[in-house]
Amino acid sequence: MIAARVKSPPTRSADPIQASPLAWQPELLASFLRLYGTLWSHGELDQATKELARIRNARTIDCPICKAIRFSGARREGLTEEIVAEIRDGYEQSGLSPRQKAVLRYTDVFLSAPGELSDELKRDLLVQLSPAELVELTAALALFMGFSKIAVALGGLPDEIPVHEQPTPDLPPPATA
Amino acid sequence: MSWIAERAAGSDEFERCFGLRPNLFAAWRDFAARLWEVGALDPTVLELCRRRIGQLHGATCPLPPGVAAPPLAERKAAELSTWWRSDAYGETERACLRFAEQFALDAKGIADAEAAAVTGALGDAGTVAFVEALAIFDGFARFARILDAGDGA
Repeated sequence: MIAARVKSPPTRSADPIQASPLAWQPELLASFLRLYGTLWSHGELDQATKELARIRNARTIDCPICKAIRFSGARREGLTEEIVAEIRDGYEQSGLSPRQKAVLRYTDVFLSAPGELSDELKRDLLVQLSPAELVELTAALALFMGFSKIAVALGGLPDEIPVHEQPTPDLPPPATA
Repeated sequence: MSWIAERAAGSDEFERCFGLRPNLFAAWRDFAARLWEVGALDPTVLELCRRRIGQLHGATCPLPPGVAAPPLAERKAAELSTWWRSDAYGETERACLRFAEQFALDAKGIADAEAAAVTGALGDAGTVAFVEALAIFDGFARFARILDAGDGA
């Protein structure tokens, strides 16, 4: 376990995000929640595909929070724990679909060497995903990776958190005056 | 030029690609712009880290519309790729650059002493804003690089 690098913010919220260190910057947090809600619930790419990439990222960055969360929308779309179990090294030999494997390959390149995307994988992605879906997936990877790294860099997390389902992020309700 | 065949309107390749998802791009622009409005963060430190992460990835996370990069002293700009050998940078700049590089390459490898140097300089709230900025600089430099929509930093 990495020791916490910042103190807990002076909030009493029961919401785990609102009580997290991100609450030190409430305006940034509100804007991030709008961005994340837009990504998840107002996108063109299906939630199960985004969840596949999110979980691959979580395992690569080794963020205990991100590894433990399952978003309910992806579950409804059929992303079962049996499929999640295939999101590991060696997925090429798994029963995952060609589209799912292409997304995982893309995730791996994004996280390791984004300048080394092969022409073969580009062609494969253009067959499997529309241009808008590809852009959304790439932006999703940027956010998944970035916020997993924030959690790891700020420390204070247990090594293991039980897998649990959470509502899919959506736009927060408008603030009332 | 990006390998994605379709494009939206935009003033550069990053905008033309990201613009294919207009509501997401708008939400990103709002968040990315707010990072530069946090009082606890010196814009020069942010700009040094944005450019340094861009050097590591071969593409720089663009600034959102309405945000102007602060001018950097000539030596700070010229010696950024070897900042650790230069005396052009102050103590806070060096601590933040060291942390930013480690964040981009392996966030789990950030040492307690490296983190303490940043929290000592920026405080808790400033550190949180700083790592959020790094997340965007790192993530969207990679976005630009993998889509061939970057500046070739």
